[in-house]
Amino acid sequence: MPLGVAMLVLLALSWALLGAETQTEVFGLFGVTAVIAVIASRLKFTESLGRVAVEHERAVSIACVVGILILMALFHEDHFPLLLLGSVLLYATACLGLNIQFGYVGIVNFAGASFFGIGAYTTAVLASHTAMPHLLILAAGGVMAALVGCVLLLPVLRTRGHYGALVTIAFATLFRSFLEVNDTLGGPQGLKIPSLQFFGWDLGEGLIFGGVEFSFYANYVFFALLLCMAAYVCVRRVERSWLGVAMDMVRTDEIAASVFGISIARQKIIAFVLGNLLVGIAGAAYGMMTNYIAPNNFTFADSLILVSMLLLGGIGNPLGVFPAAALILILPEKLQFIQEYRFLLYGTVIIFILLFRAQGLLPRGIRRFFPCAENDPRQ
Amino acid sequence: MIPVSDEPLLRAEKLTMRFGGLVALDALDIEVRPREILGLLGPNGSGKTTFFNVVTGLYAASSGTITFEGRNISGLSPQAVYQAGITRTFQRSRLSLSLSVFDNVAVGNSRMLDHGIIHNLFCRKALLAEYERTVEQVRTLLATFNAALAGKLFHSAAGLSMIDRRRVEICRALISEPRLLLLDEPSAGMTHDETAELMDDIMHVREKLAPFSVVIIEHEMNVIQRTTERCVVLNYGKKIAEGSYAEITVNADVRAAYLGQE
Amino acid sequence: MSLDIFSQYLINCLMLGMIYAMVAVGFTLFFGVLDVIQFAHGDVLMAGGFGALVAYAATQAVGIANSWVQLLLMVVSTTVMTAALGALVARFLVLPLRNAPPLNTLLITLMMGMVLREAVRLVYPNGSNPQPFPSLLPHDAWRVGGLDLRVDSLILLVVGLLLIAGLHLLITRSKLGLAIRAVAQDGETARVMGINFNRIVLLTFGLGSAMGALGGVMRGLYYTEITFDVGLLLGVIGFAAAILGGLGNLYGAILGGFLFAVLQAIGAVALPVLLPDFPSAYKDVFAFTVVIVLIGWKPTGLIAEKTSERV
Repeated sequence: MPLGVAMLVLLALSWALLGAETQTEVFGLFGVTAVIAVIASRLKFTESLGRVAVEHERAVSIACVVGILILMALFHEDHFPLLLLGSVLLYATACLGLNIQFGYVGIVNFAGASFFGIGAYTTAVLASHTAMPHLLILAAGGVMAALVGCVLLLPVLRTRGHYGALVTIAFATLFRSFLEVNDTLGGPQGLKIPSLQFFGWDLGEGLIFGGVEFSFYANYVFFALLLCMAAYVCVRRVERSWLGVAMDMVRTDEIAASVFGISIARQKIIAFVLGNLLVGIAGAAYGMMTNYIAPNNFTFADSLILVSMLLLGGIGNPLGVFPAAALILILPEKLQFIQEYRFLLYGTVIIFILLFRAQGLLPRGIRRFFPCAENDPRQ
Repeated sequence: MIPVSDEPLLRAEKLTMRFGGLVALDALDIEVRPREILGLLGPNGSGKTTFFNVVTGLYAASSGTITFEGRNISGLSPQAVYQAGITRTFQRSRLSLSLSVFDNVAVGNSRMLDHGIIHNLFCRKALLAEYERTVEQVRTLLATFNAALAGKLFHSAAGLSMIDRRRVEICRALISEPRLLLLDEPSAGMTHDETAELMDDIMHVREKLAPFSVVIIEHEMNVIQRTTERCVVLNYGKKIAEGSYAEITVNADVRAAYLGQE
Repeated sequence: MSLDIFSQYLINCLMLGMIYAMVAVGFTLFFGVLDVIQFAHGDVLMAGGFGALVAYAATQAVGIANSWVQLLLMVVSTTVMTAALGALVARFLVLPLRNAPPLNTLLITLMMGMVLREAVRLVYPNGSNPQPFPSLLPHDAWRVGGLDLRVDSLILLVVGLLLIAGLHLLITRSKLGLAIRAVAQDGETARVMGINFNRIVLLTFGLGSAMGALGGVMRGLYYTEITFDVGLLLGVIGFAAAILGGLGNLYGAILGGFLFAVLQAIGAVALPVLLPDFPSAYKDVFAFTVVIVLIGWKPTGLIAEKTSERV
């Protein structure tokens, strides 16, 4: 019951935020949200909500998916809100990949945007120069990102802490610089990408469904939702398995992990490759959705934004990346005057999070292997 | 010398470990017999923990060999040593505090758990069965030590008291049913009574399982007196005495080594 | 290649190496006292450069025309400003996170760098575009054995070397240096011995930041231009140099700085000559690739940090 109410409120708020057109509306929305939050915490509603949400995880997941579908239906012919929704889903997918690396095994990848870019550029090249089916191209984007990541594996495995951070930071700088000077990849101007097509269905065309006209972005939102769900299930399964336990051990104590038979290298390789694969696929889909990519989308600053999303959501909690990605992507678009100041804003917000709420919006809880199993042996 | 009844479980021969100019282990010969409890004594810095670190593969010995159940394990990785059947605890608690008690203990059983990618990601039914089995196993083991602890299976390890953390660490080392357990100062940070209780629990578990050998590093002499059958005393990385607790306490070299220490 | 062009490349390479070394020295000092990476360092330095520009405008406004006086005022004001900025970052961002995971410090300072960068871009008039940096040093050239040596480059090189040597003396010979080394060795023990830990940390951050800022001013004088995002790349390069050299090691940082400049020079000049298909624009790609390879080969830096993990 409290769950249903909370979901409806959340849905109404996101609908209002996505549809808001003036700054007054956005600020009004802030006010309303703040009032709701204060009332909820006064009535001890948030506490019980948290408990209920943990207990009925499947219901929450289904409600989220339905909520996104409802939003999609509500904005069926508005390009911009749908584009935003699709971006949020794809960035969240990329963050899910980084979450395996950062949240579980403890490799901080400061080149997230680069792997996102590798996926997008692979798609651009393959889709314009070959007749490969687009679904395969999408997979190729992910595989390419994972492969390029493999080149970094040796230094990533051998280094620790700050020395490890250098590897991905250097790669992020290198990648951006490479894109800018490489003429075959369009140089600073970037490349165009044809729209996604499966089995004759062109996602770049609007469609009429039940007499209602849908923007072509609705196709992408739907597709992004599918991708995102797959990534979420994958990440959750990694977490809720012996692999997840082993990865957490590697992150928290490498020595204890190796004394109990866990191969540090194996866990790191699985996490790094799988993470980059997800980031690459998300990037490939993003490229197809926006139809156009340039080196400026894949800078070190963009990688930092991905890491910020992870941090804001709560490191290690795959559910956290959704509100975090939504806030970080939608707010600057809605507050036009913030546009110019958005990096300033991100930076300040993250600084305050690190100082005052380092655990993020939705901190990670205790691992539950089978939360939906009838015979959950927890009681 | 006490006559050797049967083939030793673990044998270290001429084991030497150098850190730059420092010789932490100096041509050390140590034998651990099957089913015995061996006390490893010596002043601080005499090389006791280094010996554990070399045996478990965390350090590569500068020279010498270690044989376990007739197989040469010197130079093996920590993972391979664990697979061979040797587990340990640490002097300073090395639990992962952000994880649950179950996670911390279950990781000790990684030898028995299937870490395959396909199994973990796609065969959730089989994983569920394996998981439920492990939960039972962990719960039973924890209950041997403390019934209340078994109820905290899915609480985070950060909320545990010192003695419970130690218990969890020991359960982590025991769950894979090792053939040799290395205990590094189990009494550190605990009271006399707590230590006594902990040692009783370990002995209790040991009787239930196939009795394994234990090497225990300890400064608390009454723990050594009560539990060990034989002791080895180290000083500056060398073995200076060997024998029963009664024998070593009257040994002149041991007294000299400890003089000024206690 | 003619000797003339070669000497130009050589001076350019030395010049860059020195600037990188000056930035890297900051990273290594910060790491020494607190075991943290202060990634806003590059942007503190950039802010110092812009501070110097403001100081220059101020001197013009009050009618000081002597370029040496202007330069002196710029250097003094930028040193004070960046030292204060560095100390503030340490006091309000780095010290409060001492007990948090080290990567939180890395992230918070990265974000601080972003904030500084954006603040300068948005606040400084026309800040998004490159700003001309006054060239205040004499432009004469000396002809030595068929080579044109520009006086301003020589002055900058000599001053830079003196600064690095001075810092080295300060760390190894002075009382402050002794305190810094004591804190770097073991903060707790230093505190017990009566050293004011926080004060030394703040001083070290001030010192390192000022050193970087001087590097920034030298870069401005050399290229006669400064942009708001110069700190990002300089920061990344300085960080790479400090890590490559081995964190916490002054010589390592200097070695790393010059090494990076040499790598860039090889990428820009030598490789295009050897491989006709290799455009010189790939110099950064080349340099960073080598950095990644080197760190994979020597995972704790070329002059390895002394580490021992207690089990």
